[in-house]
Amino acid sequence: MPLLDVQDLNIRFTGYGRTAHVLRDVSFSVGRGERVALIGETGSGKSITAKAILGTLPNNASTRGGIRYDGLDVMAMAPRERDRLKGTAFSIIMQDPLSSFNPVFRIGRHLDDILYYADRRQGRVSGAQDRKARILEVLRRVQLSDPERVYGAWPFELSGGMRQRVLIALALLHHPAILIADEPGTALDVTTQDEILRLINRLVAEEGLSLLMITHNLGVVRQTADTVLVMQHGRIVERGPLSQVFEAPEEAYTKSLMEAVPPLYGPRVTDQPVSTQAPIITMTGVDKVYGSGSMLRRGAGHRAVTDVGLTVREGEIFGLAGESGSGKTTVARMLMGLLEPTSGTIEADRGGPRRLTQIVYQNPGTSLNPKRTAAQTLAVPLAHVGLKGAQARARMTELMSLVKLPESFLGKYPHELSGGQKQRVAIARALAAEPRVLILDEPTSALDVSVQKTVIDLLLQLREDLGLTYVIISHDLSLMRNFCSRLAIMRQGEIIEDGTPAEIFAAPRHPYTRALIAAIPVLTDAEEALKPEITDAERHRFLVTSDTDTNEEGHDHVSTGH
Amino acid sequence: MSMTDDRLTEDLAEGRPADTAPLSAGYMTWYRFSRNPAAVIGALIVISTILCAIFAPLIAPYPDHIGTVVDFRSRHLPPDAEHWMGTDKAGRDIFSRTVFGFRVSLLLVVGVLGISVPVGSLLGMTAGYFGGWTERLITGFTDVMLAIPPLVMALAIGNVLEPTLVNAMIAVTLLWWTWHARLIYRVTSQIMAEDYVEAARLAGASHWHILLREILPNCVSVISVKTTLDAAFVILFGATLSFLGFGVRPPTPDLGSMVADGRQFLPEMWWEVLAPGFAIFYATLGFNLLGDGLRDMFDVEA
Repeated sequence: MPLLDVQDLNIRFTGYGRTAHVLRDVSFSVGRGERVALIGETGSGKSITAKAILGTLPNNASTRGGIRYDGLDVMAMAPRERDRLKGTAFSIIMQDPLSSFNPVFRIGRHLDDILYYADRRQGRVSGAQDRKARILEVLRRVQLSDPERVYGAWPFELSGGMRQRVLIALALLHHPAILIADEPGTALDVTTQDEILRLINRLVAEEGLSLLMITHNLGVVRQTADTVLVMQHGRIVERGPLSQVFEAPEEAYTKSLMEAVPPLYGPRVTDQPVSTQAPIITMTGVDKVYGSGSMLRRGAGHRAVTDVGLTVREGEIFGLAGESGSGKTTVARMLMGLLEPTSGTIEADRGGPRRLTQIVYQNPGTSLNPKRTAAQTLAVPLAHVGLKGAQARARMTELMSLVKLPESFLGKYPHELSGGQKQRVAIARALAAEPRVLILDEPTSALDVSVQKTVIDLLLQLREDLGLTYVIISHDLSLMRNFCSRLAIMRQGEIIEDGTPAEIFAAPRHPYTRALIAAIPVLTDAEEALKPEITDAERHRFLVTSDTDTNEEGHDHVSTGH
Repeated sequence: MSMTDDRLTEDLAEGRPADTAPLSAGYMTWYRFSRNPAAVIGALIVISTILCAIFAPLIAPYPDHIGTVVDFRSRHLPPDAEHWMGTDKAGRDIFSRTVFGFRVSLLLVVGVLGISVPVGSLLGMTAGYFGGWTERLITGFTDVMLAIPPLVMALAIGNVLEPTLVNAMIAVTLLWWTWHARLIYRVTSQIMAEDYVEAARLAGASHWHILLREILPNCVSVISVKTTLDAAFVILFGATLSFLGFGVRPPTPDLGSMVADGRQFLPEMWWEVLAPGFAIFYATLGFNLLGDGLRDMFDVEA
């Protein structure tokens, strides 16, 4: 008998006078110690499924179907009885470590509250000392080496990775049988995410837990699942063992998902031609120190960029890769002339009164004004380059066809467009100002994988047709591998390695580059085998940055890749 | 409530399931409003108040009683079929005077908010947008003005100049803009962090364009909520001033001074206070309910 058995689950949401059928006949089971992954894009219903299991659906949802836990019919239980299952039967690891804590309470308080009320639900009386001892024990299990300090810390004092570990600890407090992980670590850097996935895997293996992993990242699935369920539009469209689904997907949708993931190694990798044209922007010995403006505090500022030199040639796709806080955004803003370097020079071949650069932002949800239609948004840069009235209108039509959107979308507001469509409007706006260099700031990271691919293809097409130069900033090295003609890797404000992607991926020189590449979740064992080797010492030096993430890290590297 | 709404909006907006097209924002906003009974009642009260003020001569049974009519035979009459809310010390029909009293109250609202809202919003936006010295100057000045109690200011101006409606309006307006300046300053500061402001600047937009076309439309919901709630305060404040004798000159009917007049004859002639008092309550309640309804509808803080 499976531990968790979901039969013909149907969920409808009612609101605004109509009903949306968001989950259709979803059936699956999770056995004891089994690791199941639910894969799907935005709106596929994967998070709703988790909420249905936990019993945390909003009030306007109506549920039909059966959920059985260890033979018990969960749906038929009284609310109070069902509440008792939370934490002991199922536990969820929350998605966003940065916003899941109340900033005015210490970490210990968050954990203690959960434990106190859970104990009460189970009719168990527990003393404060007893609870604290149990909490410290759990903190140790998630490899926080100084649990006492973490217990007394404020949320802001912990790094993202540590907070994610505390969230895992929260889920483990009551020895659940099934761990539900909703996109764990997606908000974190790739190297931290890698550590978190290793930890989850280890916990599942050591404590005999079952895992329901909810994710859109296929690389994560390969590391953390035995059985895979692919969801689309509220249905499970494909299911099977990991190896079967990944090696021989049957559904067209699964295939398209797999193809949309940019490969790191192997025959599917694309090499972009290297440009030999004249340099368009050159940076030499650039430093940027924030907060050193005032005379009194000179030198006391935060050093964001140190001695960066780079050359962007006409017609190339220059990639700046790095994790958060590496200084890549600061460099990009200096390239655009939005920030002045503290020292060093930036030479740009301006050749005209117009802006040399335009930018496409990461999140089209905030880069488009919600109160302005696509046409109104495009009108601004068009007016700036001197197009008005009928001319502007004609150019708008042209721009829309360039970004492959129907002309009728000109009258739409951002909320009427999907994420990918919004990003296309944002690209059209950037193109309308007729820049020679386009800065792409994580242009696809807010989008679903399949949409990412179409946007990247569009950008490549546009570069070919219009002869543009791109500078792309991203943390996504697998994207950069295929999209860039030249790549620079940044760490703590310095460029530590640069070259063509082919060179860097074939033989990364800097250990940090090796660590970064090694942390990227990939789709096949063949790619996994081609990743650079990295020693434990190097991992320590470059990945584990927080002072408490030490001791036990060394011996858990065996848990991935099986 | 709003969380489940967002969830659903997202689900529907992402085109799932395929057979349901995304709902327009206008429709969803209206849906939220129309499902909120308090908001609908508030809107009806506000509309009825405005209609009363506009069509007062048609509604009032004795339109001439707003002037210097004196009819001592029918003074202090209790409510009956002829005088629905009784008569006052000069024998004038209280219902007619109350209906006309709305005119003064709403005039005060339009006068005060018509000036202070645009001024305050513009100053707030300017401070939030330009930052630096502009910001320090405007927020500093706003804070200084906020320290002056409005009632004291109104009494002072009423004493120095003349205690008329216009002077009361000026006094209130001089202080009222500060609340809007503060609110819009805060909202603008938040909007400044959005990428679309920088994108507009990079696209070559002028300061005016960014202020009026990019930022202002995103402030409209906050401004309208705040303005509606303010209307209630202005009505109350105007009534307070005229109750104290710093408002409309007699014999023009005004809710505050009618309460003050009727107060002398309490408790025997209770109707003389009841009608104008209830009218103040009615209008204030209407604007407050509507304002709260708008706040829920737009999902903003104001």
